[in-house]
Parts: sequence; structure tokens; C-alpha cells
Amino acid sequence: MAVAETGAPIPEPPHPALQILRMLWRDKFAFAATLFLLVVIFCAIFGPMLFEDVATRQNLRGRNAAPFDFSKDWSFWLGGDALGRPLLARIIVAAQNTITVAAGAVACSLAIGTALGLVAGYTSRGLSQVIMRLADVIMSFPSLLLAVIVLYMLEPSVGNLIIVLAITRIPVYLRTSRAEVLEVRERMFVQAAQVMGASTGRIVFRHILPVVFPTLITIATLDFAVVMLAESSLSFLGIGIQPPEITWGLMVSQGRPYLTSAWWLSFWPGLAIILTTLSLNLLSNWMRTALDPVQRWRLETRRES
Amino acid sequence: MSPRLSRVAAILMATTAGFAASAQDAVTIVLSEELENVEPCMASKSNIGRVILQNVSETLTELVPGSGLQPRLAESWEDMGGGTWRFHLRKDVTFSDGTAFDPGDVVFSLARNKSDKFVCEIGAKYYGGMELSAKVVGDSTIDITSDPAQPILPLLMSTLTVLPSEANPDAFVDLPVGTGPYTFDEYNRGENIKLSARDDYWGGAPTVKTATYVFRSESAVRAAMVAAGEADIAPNIALQDATDPATDYSYPNSETVYMRLDTQTAPLDDVRVRQALNLAVDKEAFVGTILAPGTLLATGMTPPSTIGYNHDLQPYPYDLEKAKALLEEARADGVPVDTEILVIGRLENFANVTETMEALTAMWQDAGFNVNLQMVETAEWNEYYSKPFVTGKGPIIVEAQHDNANGDPVFSMFFKYACDGAQSGVCDTKLDERIAAATAATGDQREGLWEDTFAYVFNDLVADVFLWHMVGFTRVNERLDFQPTIRTNSELQLSQIEFK
Amino acid sequence: MISFLGKRAVASAVSLIGLIVLVFFLSRLTGDPTNLYLPVDASLESRARFREINGLDDPLIVQFFRYAGDIIRLDFGVSVRRGEPAIDAVLRAFEWTLWLAVITMTLVTAAAILVGALAAFRVGGVFDRIATFFSLIGASAPDFWIAIVAIVVFSVTFGWVPTSGTGTVMHWILPVAVLFIRPFGLILQVVRGSMISTLSSAYVKTARAKGVKNRPIIFVHALRNAMLPVITVIGDQAAALLNGAVVVETIFGFPGVGKLMIDSILQRDFTVVLAAIFVTAVAIFLMNILIDILYAVLDPRIRY
Repeated sequence: MAVAETGAPIPEPPHPALQILRMLWRDKFAFAATLFLLVVIFCAIFGPMLFEDVATRQNLRGRNAAPFDFSKDWSFWLGGDALGRPLLARIIVAAQNTITVAAGAVACSLAIGTALGLVAGYTSRGLSQVIMRLADVIMSFPSLLLAVIVLYMLEPSVGNLIIVLAITRIPVYLRTSRAEVLEVRERMFVQAAQVMGASTGRIVFRHILPVVFPTLITIATLDFAVVMLAESSLSFLGIGIQPPEITWGLMVSQGRPYLTSAWWLSFWPGLAIILTTLSLNLLSNWMRTALDPVQRWRLETRRES
Repeated sequence: MSPRLSRVAAILMATTAGFAASAQDAVTIVLSEELENVEPCMASKSNIGRVILQNVSETLTELVPGSGLQPRLAESWEDMGGGTWRFHLRKDVTFSDGTAFDPGDVVFSLARNKSDKFVCEIGAKYYGGMELSAKVVGDSTIDITSDPAQPILPLLMSTLTVLPSEANPDAFVDLPVGTGPYTFDEYNRGENIKLSARDDYWGGAPTVKTATYVFRSESAVRAAMVAAGEADIAPNIALQDATDPATDYSYPNSETVYMRLDTQTAPLDDVRVRQALNLAVDKEAFVGTILAPGTLLATGMTPPSTIGYNHDLQPYPYDLEKAKALLEEARADGVPVDTEILVIGRLENFANVTETMEALTAMWQDAGFNVNLQMVETAEWNEYYSKPFVTGKGPIIVEAQHDNANGDPVFSMFFKYACDGAQSGVCDTKLDERIAAATAATGDQREGLWEDTFAYVFNDLVADVFLWHMVGFTRVNERLDFQPTIRTNSELQLSQIEFK
Repeated sequence: MISFLGKRAVASAVSLIGLIVLVFFLSRLTGDPTNLYLPVDASLESRARFREINGLDDPLIVQFFRYAGDIIRLDFGVSVRRGEPAIDAVLRAFEWTLWLAVITMTLVTAAAILVGALAAFRVGGVFDRIATFFSLIGASAPDFWIAIVAIVVFSVTFGWVPTSGTGTVMHWILPVAVLFIRPFGLILQVVRGSMISTLSSAYVKTARAKGVKNRPIIFVHALRNAMLPVITVIGDQAAALLNGAVVVETIFGFPGVGKLMIDSILQRDFTVVLAAIFVTAVAIFLMNILIDILYAVLDPRIRY
């Protein structure tokens, strides 16, 4: 290689963080995705604090203002909603509730589902049977009914919404991780670890989980969109987050009646959902490559190849 | 298995042509919700009434917008005194199954409404609190007695759908038989309902020969179906979908939107607070923006076409300063005006209801009220709207939309304002007396008493925040000659449709 | 295998009973249907009569044993709203849903496996990028957007297909196309990810090292090994469709079980809710059994 030919001394390996940044830079899509997610996270943390007032100011006579009118205040660049409130400011403010609900629900269902799936795949048949049939029950329990029950008895709040959405998404992680465990535990290296007397915990966490995880992450990133849109349809039926609270899902469902007359009402929040999901997925694909020693070369050698 | 297979085969072989409404004298009507049943005694529900009422099942009398109560199955009627009315029925009428119509069918239909095997909505809605009995006095004459006496008994009979006495007395019918101009042919649940014109109808054969009803809950899709030529009439489309002046008709739909105040709980028990709530709402600002142009500001519970509507009352003006001043005045007298008030809205109650409620609460907040909006689904809303009221949540304001297309305030005032009224937020003995007096009176006196009652509720009690008399939109295919009216909300008479 | 099926059938029956008991009691917590069924102006007397006729004034436990007694005779009760046996309404709607789910999932499975596997073959290549990008956008877009825009474009503007409803094969095109998009995106991603792992795993490398040059053979072997998570996710998506595709049913006026279930839940028509859950649960349980059998077929090392 070039370095060796000039005879220069082998450089110090760069700092690990720098190395990761470099790999990120090489995949331009993943880099853009990371930037976008940072913006979203920034909005989620500081949005309500900065723009709450702007986002709730109504102007009935200026409703459904068209987008791209740059003579107006910046907050109206994406247009106004049905009550004349600026869409851009509302999207920024809504990021907080949206990300809290989506991240909360996805993280809970991923953690609980995976844990139960690992147990079901790796323990006695009796316990496994109980867990799997429980998953069947959750899978057949209509999520809407669950939402009506929970939210009829409790207030429609962010926390309760996370519970409802998390429960409904548990089975997919549970069944996926268990199916993978069934296969992985028969593989050579796991059998070898068993023979060598490794503890169950060690086998599960060191040998099985890393194999199972990439698939689960792929599902989880797309579940972000599923959860945001499910939350939107719950709001539409009156059992999700209710005005004056806002989420992207609620904005999408509030724009629904105007789809043919003022498309921007539901388009921008919908686009925010799409871009967030897309970014998460691109980033997770990149991570899968970057963290896998077998595939890492794809990111390290692209420039030379 | 084989019928299923043949059905699939039929679907697969069906050609692509002909999804637009085809035959010249056939119409397709796209409704916003599926019919749960097609029972004539449930026809006061608007979705069932639009198909059944006066098309399949007829009533003794009929309320015609602009011309008042008209004969239908009864040719004439007279007050016999003592709560009894005598109805002279048409003689040349047959049911669609060929049997003749006679007074016994009316007796049967009336009794069926009070069956102890199932609950009919018409009976529950209109004949509560009275005992109705009917007696056959001749081949075509019948006496109907109510206890207590009802001066508007003939009007009440415009709600009673008549079934043949051979119909099932103990359960819903699934193929209704009536005296109307159309035969109910079939109901393919989830897909469509088909009616066809009768040649032997007593009123002469109608122009429209067959009608197909289909169901789409999305307003944009209903509008698109008429635009694409797949349907001819789409009642109830949203304001934002009514974009084509050539096909989209607006009409007052007999609905009144108001905010029911709980006048028993502080601070809503103070009249100044209630006045302030009225003054703080810029009702004009909604019209032509969130709500349709042509929406009227309301001063009472019933639409202006009702008898006894007080046309002298002026809506409260939008006066934020005065509202704030009244609130300060109340505060100075020790009224707890800062108490949080829960505002309950009903989801999907009318188009844009959520936006309307959001804007309304923002206006109240501007005036200094501490209000908290909660939009709920119908089941939960019911618990707030009807007695026994929810307790322990502080003062509550409930958004409601009330429909009175029957021409007389009696169908509204007792329930909404009497101490015993199921949705009444007030209890005032003087008001109770006024309602009772007006209910018992007739003619001009009745009209005058109702006008006084409306004024008393509006000016003296300031019982509620009246908002608007609403407007509905119906999209009609240009090949039809049809004008929607205030009755279109509850019935859609196919025999009134002509082709251009 | 027989003993597996026997045990599984017993366990599934037990969870079915548990599900029905759970739904029966939980759904009763959501309020009394009387006020919803009767007009708001109904008198207290007719409210009382309604409760009596429908047995709603009995203690909940009495109502439950009455229901349990009926259901043993496979009598799911009569819908208060519809005045017809609840199971009739459900089975009629479920037939539509089943067809919709079967047609959609067949197309999705075929398309997603093909495209996903091809995308995995050259990770980061043009085909991979394009497939990933568009499938992700489709999978995360609100489905009613796609549905309504499709109606406006393909039905109103071009007149190629009917806007909505049922009747001819043309009526199925838009609903199936809209339903196709989301599971396609998700399954494609899972296929792609699973294939990448498999193709870079030790035994495929070994096969290559041993000189198996034939790409198709490697491809097919890898695919077979990558299928476990894919099948699971296909099952999850199929279950979602069997529970009813509410948005599509609502917009296209498709008389499936999803809209029936939602309407019945919102109207507190409990007999229909229970019958609908019973039918969809049986279908989902059967499907999960089938999936577990498929695992063992695809990977003989898996035993139960």
C-alpha cells in the first residue's frame, strides 16, 4: 500500500471515536441520517421550551395558509394548519411527545419481548409453552380494545399510551428472538460453549444475543414508524393523545380530512415520521456493518476500492 | 366450499367495464355509515331513516318543510277531546307484500314500539312519559289516545312507521315490508342495499326505478364517488370536500351546537360567569372558516324553522373586555373564577369538531378562564352529557349537538331544561312551569309561550352557551334534479328525485 | 410430531378460553351500552327496559356464566345493534378479511423475498440503495395518504379502477396495493438483513472456499437458512391483517372484520366483539402452529 511504499513509519491508530466518525463519513447516507436524528433530538429536548407560544397561537381567519410563502415569518414557511397555527413550529414542538412515545414504546417492547423470547427459546418446555401461548393471546387481543380499556379507566397520557403501544408490539420481538434462539442454540459454537461448561447466562448473552440482535434492531427501527402511526389512529378515534397536546401522529390524523384540499397539513408531519424512520434504519444498517468484524471492510476500504 | 369458489370465479371473470352507475332510471346513494339493522321502528336513527323512512315505510302524517304537517297514510284527523284524536286513513293502500293496509296495522305498529322483547328507538325517543293507546273504530278510522293529553299528537304520528300486522312482533325484521313507493329487495350486509319502485303504489309510480345504497365512511371518498360517476347522491360531505358549486348543495341540517353549562357548580352557578362565557366567544369568526358559510348564530336550542322560535333574540356579541370585566366583578364577590373548568367535546360529532373546540377553549383562555379541553369518544361523552352527571371533577362544560327536525320545541325543551330533564344543567321552577304550560297549549298561544320560554332561557337564566345552527353539504350528480332540505338529515325520499 | 400437535392444541385451547374470559370481563369495564344504544332523549323507563331485556341488570358473574353456557353450545349470542347472530356478522366479514390477507401476503412474501435477497447480494449497491429507500418510505408513510391519493389519481383522474367498494376483480386492486406496501417494506428489510448475516457466515465462506462456484446454489442455501426470522415477521404481519386492515376497510368500504371490530368496540356491542376475537384468535393460533412446523421443516435441527 501507499504508506508502506514511501517507507514512512506506521501511524498511530487513530482514536476509536475518530475512527467511528471516519467510517460514518464514508457512508454519506448514514452520515446524513445521523445529522437529521441529532436535529430531531435537539427539537425534542428544546422545542417545547423555545416555541410553545408560537406553535399554539391561533388565527382562524388565516387558516390553512399555503406553504413556501417566504414573505411570512419563518414558522409559516411550511404553511399553517386548520386553526392558522404555524406548521413548522408545531412539528418542532411535537417532536418531544412523539419521540418520547415512540422511543418509550419501542424500547419497552424490544426489551421485554427479547427477554421473554430468550427465556422461551432456552428454558424448559413448560415455561416456554406458557410464554408462547401468552404471546398468542396478546397477538389476538385487538390493540384498539386494549387502548379503549386502559384509556377509559385512566387518563389519556403519554405514559399510558406507551404502555398500550408497548404491549401490542411485544409478540413480534418475542417470537423473532425465540425462533432465532431455537436455531442458534443448535450451532456448533454454542454447543461447544455448553460442553465447555459455560453458564446459561453467559451463553445467552455472549453467544446468542449478538446473533439475534441485528434482526431485532431492523424490526425495531421500522416499528418506530408503526408506533407513531398507530398512535395517530388512536388519536383519530379519540383514545390517544388529545389536543392541545401535539404529536406528529396527531397532526397527521388532524390533517386527514384536508388531504384533498390542503395537503400540507398532514404531509409535513408525515414526512417527519418517514425521515425519522428512514434515518434510524440507515443508521442501524450502518451500525450492523460497522460493528460486525466480518463486514467492517466494506466501510474501511471503500475509498481505496 | 363450492359457493365460495364460484363466488371467487365470478369475481375473477367479471369484466372491468361498468363500475359507474349505469341505468338511466337507477340511482346510487353513498351513505356515511352502514346500517346496523333495517328495522322500521328504528327509523328515527338518521342512517336507517334515510333508507327506510317514506321510501319503504310510511307514517300517518308527514312534516313537509315550508308547508307544515301534511297527510300521508291518514287523509285527515280531528281532536275528539280528552286526549283522543281520530285519524281517517287512506283506503286504497297496500303493503309491498300485497296485503291491504287497515287500522289494525297501526294498532300493531304502535304496540310493537313498546314491546317487552326488544327496544324500539322511535318509542323510546318520542313516546316516553306518555301512555298511547289505539282503538279501531271503523274500516278506515282509528282513535289514538294519549295520557296525558298531547296537543301535538298528529305531529307525533309523523314519526310512527307502519308495519303490517303480520310482521314479527318480538324481534327486528330483516326484510322490511311497508306501504311506501319502494320495495325493499335485499340487504347484502357490508356491501349494499337495493330498493325497487312499486307499480302499485297508491301515490303513483315514482321516476327513479331502482336505488342502490352503499356505505363509505370517508367524506373524501364519498365526494370522489360522485365526481367519478359511481354514485349520484352523497349526503353529509365535509366542508373541505364541497369544492364544486355545480354539484354541492348546502342546506340547514336542523342541528344546533351548544355548550351545556353545569349551573349547579361554582363558578358556573354565577350568572355573570355564564354571561362572560357567552361574550368571550367570537362565533362569527368560525363561520366561513372552520364551519361552513351560511352557518347561523344560535340563540336557542332548535333551528329557526321550528314554531315558537324567538326571532327577536340577538346573539351575544363578541366583547372580550366586557367578559373580562364581568369575570372581575364575580371575582370581587368571592366567586371562585379561577377554578379549573373541564370542557368535554365529542369526537366526530360534526365535521371539524376538534378544531372548533380547540379554538373555542383558546378564546375562553384569552378571557381569563381556566379551561381544560378533553375530547372523548361517544360512550364516554354520554356519561358526561346525561344524568346522573359525573361528580368529583369540578365544574364541567359539555359540547353537544342537538337535532330537532320535527318542527316543535317540545322535542327538545323538557330534556334539555326541566329539572327532571336527562341532559338539563339547570333546575328552575319558573322554567319548569313555562315548559309545562307551552307543552299543553295549542295554536298561537303555544307559539307565544315557547317564544317566552326561549327568551327566559337565553336572557334571564343564561343557561347555556348557544353557538350555531349548522349547515350540511350534499353532493348531487348533475344528471339529477334534486334539492336537499332540512329533512335530508333524517330522510331522503327517492320519489322526490327527478332526472334533468 | 403428533404429540407436539396434541400438546399444542390443548395449550392453544386453554389460552383461547383465557382470552375469552379476559375480554369478557375487561370489555365490561368500558361502560354500559344502554346509553349508546338508546337516543339521548330516551326515558329512564325505556333505559331500564333495555337493561332488563338484554340481561345487563344481572351481576356480571351471572352474565358471564350465562355467556359461558351459551358458548359451549357454540352460541355466540345475538348482536344487540344488528339483531342478527353475532357469529354470522363476524364470519361474513372474516371471509373478506381472509381473502384480502391471503392475497396480500402471498404477493408480499414473493416480492419481498426476491427483492430483499437480491439487495443483500450486493450490499450498498445501486439496487440495494433504491430498494431500501423506496420500501422504507412506503413502510413508514401513513396508509390513508396512499389510499386517498391513489383514489384521486387512479379513479377520479384516470378512471382506471373504481374508487371503492366490492363487486369485480378491479375493486380489489387498490385495497391490495395499499395493504401491500407496509409489510413489503418490513419483510424486505428483514430478508435483506438476515441474508447479509448468512452470506457472511462461516459455512457459506466454507462452501465458497471448497470451490462451490455456483452462485445460485449458495443463494438458495443461504436463503433457506435466512428464513427463520423472515417467517416470524411474515406471521406477525399476517396476524395484523387477520385482525383487520382498518384504514383500508374504512376508506375503500371493504366489509372486513377490522371495521366491524372497531365499530363494535366503540358501540359496546360485546357479543360481536367476543365472536370476532374468537374467530381471529383461532386463525392466528392456527397460523402460529403452522409457523412452528415450518421452522422444523426448514431447519431439521430444531426440535420441540
